[in-house]
Amino acid sequence: MFQRISIGILIAAVCVDFARADPPSVTAVLSNSEATVGETVELQIKVVGPGDARPPEEISIDGLEIHSTGTSRQFEIHNFSTSSSVTYNYMILPLSAGRFTIPPQTVNAGGKVLRTPELVLNVADAPGQQTTRPGRNAQGTQSQSTKAGDLVFAELIVPKKTAYVGEIVPVQIRMGFDARVHPRLTEPPDITGQGFTSQKLQQSSQNLETINGRPFEVVTFKTAIAAARAGKFEIGPVQAKAQVVVPRRRNAPRGRSPFDLFDLDDPFSDPFFSNPFAQFGERRDIQISSDPVALEVKPLPPNAPPSFSGAIGSFTMVTDAKPKSVQVGDPITVTTAISGRGNFDRVNAPLLEDDRGWHKYPPSSKFKQDDEVGISGTKTFETVVSPNENKQSLPVFAFSYFDPAKEQYVALHTEQTPITVQGGTTAPAVAAQQPASSPATAPRGRAPVSNSTKPQDILYQLTEPSRTMASFEPFYARRGFLLAQSLPLAALLVFAGWKIRRARLDDREARRIGALQHEAAALMHKLRRGDVSPQEYYAEASRVVRLKAALASRNRSVDPNVVDAESAAETFKLDTDSRDRLRRLFEQNDEWQYSGAHNGPGSISPENRRDVLELIENLK
Amino acid sequence: MNFPFVIPSEVKRSRGIPLRRRGATPRDPSTLLGMTANRTLAILLCFVFGIAASAFAQTDAEFAKANQEFAQGHFKEAIVGYQALVHQGQWNANLFYDLGNAYFRTRDFGRAILNYERALALDNHHPEATANLQIARDEARALELRPTKLERYLQFASINQYSIAAAIALWLGIFGIVMTIFARRRSAALMSLSILCLLVCGMAIWAIHTLDNGSAGGGLAIVTGNDVQARLATADTANSILALPAGSEIKILSTRGDWMYAVLPNDLRGWIQTKNAEQVRL
Repeated sequence: MFQRISIGILIAAVCVDFARADPPSVTAVLSNSEATVGETVELQIKVVGPGDARPPEEISIDGLEIHSTGTSRQFEIHNFSTSSSVTYNYMILPLSAGRFTIPPQTVNAGGKVLRTPELVLNVADAPGQQTTRPGRNAQGTQSQSTKAGDLVFAELIVPKKTAYVGEIVPVQIRMGFDARVHPRLTEPPDITGQGFTSQKLQQSSQNLETINGRPFEVVTFKTAIAAARAGKFEIGPVQAKAQVVVPRRRNAPRGRSPFDLFDLDDPFSDPFFSNPFAQFGERRDIQISSDPVALEVKPLPPNAPPSFSGAIGSFTMVTDAKPKSVQVGDPITVTTAISGRGNFDRVNAPLLEDDRGWHKYPPSSKFKQDDEVGISGTKTFETVVSPNENKQSLPVFAFSYFDPAKEQYVALHTEQTPITVQGGTTAPAVAAQQPASSPATAPRGRAPVSNSTKPQDILYQLTEPSRTMASFEPFYARRGFLLAQSLPLAALLVFAGWKIRRARLDDREARRIGALQHEAAALMHKLRRGDVSPQEYYAEASRVVRLKAALASRNRSVDPNVVDAESAAETFKLDTDSRDRLRRLFEQNDEWQYSGAHNGPGSISPENRRDVLELIENLK
Repeated sequence: MNFPFVIPSEVKRSRGIPLRRRGATPRDPSTLLGMTANRTLAILLCFVFGIAASAFAQTDAEFAKANQEFAQGHFKEAIVGYQALVHQGQWNANLFYDLGNAYFRTRDFGRAILNYERALALDNHHPEATANLQIARDEARALELRPTKLERYLQFASINQYSIAAAIALWLGIFGIVMTIFARRRSAALMSLSILCLLVCGMAIWAIHTLDNGSAGGGLAIVTGNDVQARLATADTANSILALPAGSEIKILSTRGDWMYAVLPNDLRGWIQTKNAEQVRL
């Protein structure tokens, strides 16, 4: 409840305060009472009091361009006392020097007629000003741009007023656009004029600057020009085209301002510009141009050094060479780096001061620029030289340029780089037997050798062709060579097969011998036991003899079954007694085998057994 | 008793078998027109030799004609004659040497050097080609690829010689190992010799690989165009790496369309248009 009462009291107090507000008043101020031609000054007319004030529609003074740039309102509450004010802004552009008096302006506010105080503006001349200034005779779209220097401007900045023929002169182009017109560059700036060449334009920067109290988007372009001949030139003007947004035409035209440059309403008095959210304008093409700049071009002084190729600027030279130890005739790559600032397109490779005893090959080059327009950087040359004879050092390379600061030619020389050259002369010193003009043929022979190196001519024709066809294909890739490998391969296979067969045969014989030996040992063991019948005993004894005879025959591979007493005796070269005993053994065996019984006792006496064993064991 | 299956003539005579008269051989119905196989073979051989002799005679005539054109100073006609023989595959060192001379006379040093190089590729010890190659290089100021130290050492023998050495060493090594395997008693000397042979074979193969991929290997090419620039990329507008005088040596690494990527005489690498260089080995 208490709160409601408080709010009500506050509102009532405000209403009372309004009811007893101060009477309306008006003031007028200039942002600066001193200005130069082309420099804008802001005029503010502030009306305090009722909001229905009517400002002067037109302020017309000879020598000054005055146009409205907008209106701002302020409302203040201070210690329960409120006040409101309206400020009318005007931009004054002095067109000529002098003392200007802005007479009192009439403002109707709150039913009263108020008058502003008289204001004085002192305008001085602006010498050397390059910024494009508006012209009264401007017409069409060009007038829109150039007129005010308020919407757009272009500047051509040439740091030098004198230069030499071929000297690179850096040039800067500044183009400013009122930040409120949303500019778009449709054609890049172009430096018009004759007698000079210009390099490709590079956009360097874009930033927002406040010029005469107003924000401008300033785009800076950089390039470089070089005069082609001596004389006095005018560089520029710079010309470009852009699109800007201007307020649309009104259906009900307002009173036209004398500063209406677009044949429309005065753009700066349009609320379009004062409303930051107003994006609905009309896009117009405008042409921008700057003032030209005078440049005096002087010719280069005479007596240029022989190594001068047209380079103008300031340069340094560094040289390196690889390898430093070579044979005669081997190439040495000399790398020369020329750094500095100047016309690098005229910087050529350094020359050999004394090329006697050297072969010089065409150099290659590459340029690394350090700036945007390529007037400073490093140009590197690679020159291949080869010594024709023994040399102690590399040849001296010379490079000359004209220094415009010193106004004289400067010659740079490389230092004597020591190198090691081995070998004799490069050329084979082959002299022709016949002059070049009469190239007669001659039979093939050894090349005649002479010590004279000049004139060099090729040797004679060879009239006898080689009978054998030759091939560039290396042996290892030829079919014949690969086929030839089949011969040793076949030999290897045959050899290996033969060896394998031999091994198999040897193996079979060994196994047979092993079997025979095993059988003989088993039988001997059995014979020594003595528990066999006489029939078996003699059969096994004769079998042992056969086995031993077969084993004793070695390489002949004798079958034990075909061995008889005679052949066994022959094999062991037995004496007569042993032969008889062996024969008897075989007979007794036959007797036991074929008759079924023995004529003697049914068992073998120990003596007979011992005798047989002794006979068999002695068979070696 | 067994008698030998083939009865010698003496035996035939003793048995009363009449000897055939010379030239009275009975006709074998299996051969053409009743001729003997030997006679047919002889005729075929004569025919082949005749054709070969005729071809040689024709080649000689063309070569002699080209030489005559050269002697009369008609170098372009001589080049046409020599080139015809080259296109026929009649490759020999003297032909390329003479062709190089003809190009030299027309001051086409690039192709002169190319053909001298070809002559030397076929005959490594061709003194005339060696001498004229040096003269042509001096005239053209041609750049040469620098062989590595290793290549220089290995160049005491040619790739073909290394190939033969590798083959012989390989087979000796293999035979040695096989003999060692089958021997009843392993011989350390034989084994060592076999391993040594295989090592020699391996070194020879390595030498072949090094030389074949070296500066004078299969990729060797000669710049035949004038004012040739080796470039950083496959475009005429690309930055130049090296200006190559005619007759300069390059080693082709790869080919892409009309451009070849090559090792340059200054140990750099760059792109060159294929029309500006020709490979030495055909």
